[in-house]
Amino acid sequence: MKILEANAGALTNFEVLHFLRAKGASKDPTRVIAKVAQSEYKVYDYLVNTAASAQTRENIKDFLTSVKQHDLAKAEVLNILNTRPVAEVEIFPMIENCEERFPDEEVSEIVELVKKTLPPPLIMKQEETATLKNEQGKEISQDQNENEGGEQMDTS
Amino acid sequence: MFYLSRIEHKLSLPPTRLVLPIREAIHMELEKLFLDKVIANLGLCISVYDIRSIDGGFIFAGDGAPTFTVVFNLIMFRPFVGEIITAKLFSSDADGLRLTLGFFDDIYVPAHHLPYPNHFVAEQVNSKKGVWFWDFNDQSYPIEDTDVIKFRVQNVSYPPIPVEQPKESKPFAPMLVTGSLDHDGLGPISWWFAEELEEEVENE
Repeated sequence: MKILEANAGALTNFEVLHFLRAKGASKDPTRVIAKVAQSEYKVYDYLVNTAASAQTRENIKDFLTSVKQHDLAKAEVLNILNTRPVAEVEIFPMIENCEERFPDEEVSEIVELVKKTLPPPLIMKQEETATLKNEQGKEISQDQNENEGGEQMDTS
Repeated sequence: MFYLSRIEHKLSLPPTRLVLPIREAIHMELEKLFLDKVIANLGLCISVYDIRSIDGGFIFAGDGAPTFTVVFNLIMFRPFVGEIITAKLFSSDADGLRLTLGFFDDIYVPAHHLPYPNHFVAEQVNSKKGVWFWDFNDQSYPIEDTDVIKFRVQNVSYPPIPVEQPKESKPFAPMLVTGSLDHDGLGPISWWFAEELEEEVENE
């Protein structure tokens, strides 16, 4: 085995997720039929719970064109794309020498840009709908219990 | 987190696979060989991205399997120093924390990289396991199992394969990531997210 190029290009989480989805990975029961290996599925399950799950190519293009004016290093842009920071405090660990290179207003500008161009991860929306379903679910399960009691009496 | 690496490999294709179209057969063989394996200094192989070229197909004397020289791209998991990754807590003991990503478990945050000041409360008197607390402004914040934790990659190392191992030691980890929580915005998301929610409420 010969390594021709150890680093043929960095990939964002979105690109890896897109690649796995194109192979057939998904959350619903059809996942067993797809040609995706178990270990690839573990990566898919991890990525689907991050900010990359809701992104599209257009979002990323918009973000990249608007962030060019701020002079960020490639690794910093990659970090921001993968984690979608929504507060200044989240951006501080990502940018080296943050206080020296950017005044506070510019950091706030970058945060605003992130909120504007990149969508929030899907899990947050799912949590909101899940709490609604739980309230409805309790009423439905009570009805089912009554029905099951009726069926058992019939078979015996 | 993920990189593409171009590899060239002399692959011997078992005759049972010859019934499939060549690209598929080679793809399957490559996946069997590389998927979920660590290559030193390249990282953990996640997937075969594409096949660039297939060459050869010679059958050597005394062998039933044709040999191909294949050039292909692999998606490697290789975090760079300074990257911020979100992970779940795997275990916590007196030496520090161990975090997991689901597909990769060997992420360690040693005690000296935890936010300072901190203290450790052991579960029982003699056990090594326990919970770490961060002491900030006279309040103690615990690092719990349920938290999702953001950490900064400090170092990635590939220890050499040991020749002999004592029977009860941990299974060998070919790739070790050392992380640090010692910075603003790192640590369990609940430590910082609660503050953000308060800010949003105030702004509204």
